[in-house]
Amino acid sequence: MNNNQNNHVIHVTNLSKHFGDNEVLKKINFDVDRGDVIAIIGSSGSGKSTLLRCLIDLEQADGGTIMIKDRKLVDEGVQAPQKEKTAIIADMGMVFQHFNLFPNLTVRENLELTPKLRHVGTDEEIEARMEYYLDKVGMSHRADAKPSTLSGGEKQRVAIARALMMQPEILLFDEPTSALDPELTGEVLKVMEQLASEHMTMVVVTHEMGFARQAASKVLFMNDGIILEEGTPDDIFNHPKEERTKAFLSSIDR
Amino acid sequence: MDFHYIITLTVPLLQGTVVTLAIFAITLVISVPLGFLVTLGLNSKNGLIKGFCETYVYILRGTPLLLQILFVYFGLPLIPWIGKYLTFSRFASACIAFVLNYSAYFGEIFRGGLLAIDPGQYEAAKVLGLTRYETMTRVIIPQMIRVCLPSVANETITLLKDTALVTVIGVTEMLHYAKTEVNRDGTPFPFVIAAVLYLIINFFLTWIFKYLEKRYEQ
Repeated sequence: MNNNQNNHVIHVTNLSKHFGDNEVLKKINFDVDRGDVIAIIGSSGSGKSTLLRCLIDLEQADGGTIMIKDRKLVDEGVQAPQKEKTAIIADMGMVFQHFNLFPNLTVRENLELTPKLRHVGTDEEIEARMEYYLDKVGMSHRADAKPSTLSGGEKQRVAIARALMMQPEILLFDEPTSALDPELTGEVLKVMEQLASEHMTMVVVTHEMGFARQAASKVLFMNDGIILEEGTPDDIFNHPKEERTKAFLSSIDR
Repeated sequence: MDFHYIITLTVPLLQGTVVTLAIFAITLVISVPLGFLVTLGLNSKNGLIKGFCETYVYILRGTPLLLQILFVYFGLPLIPWIGKYLTFSRFASACIAFVLNYSAYFGEIFRGGLLAIDPGQYEAAKVLGLTRYETMTRVIIPQMIRVCLPSVANETITLLKDTALVTVIGVTEMLHYAKTEVNRDGTPFPFVIAAVLYLIINFFLTWIFKYLEKRYEQ
């Protein structure tokens, strides 16, 4: 194993994906290093969510290689065996646009479900971990609430805490604030910025340019199934090279 | 009509009620899990299993329950060669027909419940590392139960009333005794008592389902 791969926690080469005749991802290459905060931006239909979902096996790539830490989820278009994939994606957590909390369980039960099933510690240890992460997202006071009684922003903060419970090395976010009322996005972004400042490795598909500008270490601009341009937030937002990047940036919130 | 007469009319009906409740309980206890298997079969990727379950539901929903009861009791024993192994008592025949029929209905109800569940629930379960079994038992089925409860309540009440049909193969359930008394005494009053007994049982059923709906509230 060479050095190069050791530095990358995610190493993607020539990733491609079709939905029928529609080529959604066209030979994508990109790397994520430990502690990176990658913001993936681009218009809808550009393939950014599909890319993210391929990384955690919610979509299956049909070409290319996806390496998570030192293990191959997909090798030259060949999927790893299911058991292997389960072990690989355990290194990652995911936060969804629509939260996907389990409505039949309380906040506490949502957080404790997997840790208890996997016996990662005694009940007291899991309880303490649950309290730690709920406190981190500022939701300790709602531990016994059912998700249906929470606001969108609260649900998303709980979802982030839940994703952290198995202590993943990488957190993936799929448009985490897109389903929220504008006044509720701030509380979620604050939690994400906090995680970024603690050097959590994060890959964030987002329309929040403010977040990308402030918290990202690298910004990828996707257009029509390829990464058209990538760079630091300063590169992308202040000195975009590609016409499509400029057009996209000027079309949004300013 | 004195009080004593009412009692003498009611006692046999209560005996019949035990049989009614037995058929009701046996059917419910077996056909709910069996119905869930039918649901899994209807959703199966295996074409053979799926086709079998679809045909099963089509036949059992598409023919009268009364016919099914008659077929199990009178029809099955007449099948050449295997008929002698398919000969059941009146009571057993009644239970078999009900279980087969209600499994088909419950299968369809549960299928509807599964369709109502947000695909995001499966995705969240997967990225959290739940196994398929854990996903079903911890996440999907509890939500499915909540969605299905009103339909299941409806079906359960129908089941209780449908048990009266088994009187055609001579099972001595509640209505059987009521009919006998009406013929014997020339009074419609036993029918009224039977109606009251059905209503009392349904009162409890309604109450139980209200409680369950409350418990599965989200």
